[in-house]
Amino acid sequence: MTQSGEFVIRVTDLKKYYGDVKAVDGVTFEVARGEVFGMLGPNGAGKTTTIEVLEGLRPPDSGNVEVLGLDVRRHPQSIKQRIGVQLQSVSLYPRLTVTELLDLFGSFFSHHVPTKQLIDAVDLGERAKAWSMNLSGGQQQRLSIALALVNDPELVFLDEPTTGLDPQARRSLWDLIKGLQERGKSVILTTHYMEEATELCNRVAIMDHGRILEMGAVSELIGRRFKERAVFFDSNPQLPMDQLARLGGVTRTAQEDGQTVLYSKDVPGTIAALLAAADGLSLEPRNLGIRQATLEDVFLDLTGRALRD
Amino acid sequence: MRTLLGLTVANVKSLVRDRAALFWTIFFPIMFVFLFGWLFGGNGGDTKVSVGYVDLDSTPASAGLRQAFSSVTLLNLKDGSLEDEKAAMQHGDVSAVIVIPKGLQDALVAARSGSKASIAIEVYGDPSQNQTTQLVQGVVAQVANGFNLAAQGGTAILTVSQLTLQSTSISAVTYLVPSILAMALMQLGVFAAIPLVQQREKGILKRIGATPLARWKLVGSNVLLRLMIAVVDAVLIVGIGIVMFNVKITGNPLEAIGVVLLGAAAFLAIGFMLASFLKTEEQASGVVQIVQMPMMFLSGIFFSFDFLPGFLQTVARFLPLTYLGDALRQVMVNGTQVAPLGMDLAILTGWLVVCLAISARSFRWE
Repeated sequence: MTQSGEFVIRVTDLKKYYGDVKAVDGVTFEVARGEVFGMLGPNGAGKTTTIEVLEGLRPPDSGNVEVLGLDVRRHPQSIKQRIGVQLQSVSLYPRLTVTELLDLFGSFFSHHVPTKQLIDAVDLGERAKAWSMNLSGGQQQRLSIALALVNDPELVFLDEPTTGLDPQARRSLWDLIKGLQERGKSVILTTHYMEEATELCNRVAIMDHGRILEMGAVSELIGRRFKERAVFFDSNPQLPMDQLARLGGVTRTAQEDGQTVLYSKDVPGTIAALLAAADGLSLEPRNLGIRQATLEDVFLDLTGRALRD
Repeated sequence: MRTLLGLTVANVKSLVRDRAALFWTIFFPIMFVFLFGWLFGGNGGDTKVSVGYVDLDSTPASAGLRQAFSSVTLLNLKDGSLEDEKAAMQHGDVSAVIVIPKGLQDALVAARSGSKASIAIEVYGDPSQNQTTQLVQGVVAQVANGFNLAAQGGTAILTVSQLTLQSTSISAVTYLVPSILAMALMQLGVFAAIPLVQQREKGILKRIGATPLARWKLVGSNVLLRLMIAVVDAVLIVGIGIVMFNVKITGNPLEAIGVVLLGAAAFLAIGFMLASFLKTEEQASGVVQIVQMPMMFLSGIFFSFDFLPGFLQTVARFLPLTYLGDALRQVMVNGTQVAPLGMDLAILTGWLVVCLAISARSFRWE
């Protein structure tokens, strides 16, 4: 029990195969109490399968999986009482109101939070009597988070909570998720958005092909790989990569969405050399810019492709 | 139990708030009652079949038979010679010709003294009007049957045909009300496949598994809802039939509700079995139509089973809707039967058990 106070999740060498497909192929990680832990990866990377094992929806093929100090294989029902899972309420009962849905889902649990309190927590007071199908996309997501909180869970699973939302709705949902952490809840979330992971997560795991490629705090992951900053511009065939790689200060190069990225220890030197090279060909690099390396760069470096693909 | 009740209440609210669903599950079958009610009128026997009647015997016995036929309200007899009536049929003035053979009285007398010789009444029919011909043949067979019984019992000839009269003149609407109810129950059950496939496709059934709610309760609450709708449908359809169209219900209401629930359950099981094999909502809506549309027309619920052409009768004998319609007709209006009531119920129970077993084996939550 001392361990469960420290970690809400302990996974050791988890494997889950479907025939020849290694959906999860030896994953080990821990999530500390009060942490927001992000799982990043392209579709098919194994994040959803991992989470479904943690939620008790699928038995692991091998490995040790403890959630809230309990073995998922032996105590799935006790775990389900204490975790929160995001449910798309709209597709289940589109014509029930926000209040009715929260009351109904509360009744599934032995212990639940008063509906009024949940509605206030996700700021849906004005829509409490609206049918869930008539809520906006952002409001529906907030409702689905409220549904994940009906049993006052210690650990909340959020599966791509902001996918398909406009930037403003996304921001307001981020505030909500940060609020969960302030109330002492641990959160595991999957996302396609690097910005979201950077904003919300204490630590992230980057997954691909059923394995965790890298894990740690976002700044740590970036710092571990990129001491440099990135110089970027629209790719031009007249400036071939091998030539660019030899420019002063450049340590690495990458191609991303039609842009060439040069990671540089000496940004002024690199830009001067780049402009000189371009000038020799009587051209000007388009959309030239400089930025810090981001989680996106880490992902690109690890998997060779952008996360959105 | 509390959660099952809560889910059922949620289902009822969802249905009441969904105008399209309300229409299809409740108002659509009611529309059928009005439609058929107006089409076929309040009383049976309005539709008469004109039939040529040729008496080649011309004896007191054949006159008695003539009277028996004339008391069948369905038939409108036109007397004449064989040639005239055949010509009339070819002109379409009559739909069939009944010919009473010469020697009828002699045969009857001979029968009383123990002779086994029989004599045939001939019915000329128009092959293009198969249904009418079969109808007339059915009536002739019944009249002849009554006549035979009377002849052997030595009692008066005319009294017997009164019995056949009753069952042939059952009003069209009275016949159709149990059929419409059977149709509604069939659709109620088969259509249950669609929301189930939809909820699975959207991952809801899977995600529910991550809450302490047992998933069977989600499905169970759906079954409860649909059984409730079945009873509401039954009350409305039969009620409107009685009040608006003078339908005579003779059976025991509790028996009728029992058959309604068994029928609804059997078709729900069919719906669940379909949901076990269908992957997308589009597939489900398509297949459900492919199942329910032909069943509606081939089961003979909207025409007497005997009027179906031979090969379609064979098809109909395999369809569960045939037996639900038959069972409802028997317990509600005491209509003519396709099979004994016990067999109807056994076949429906069989469908229920087999489809549930297949669903239990094949159903996937995700």
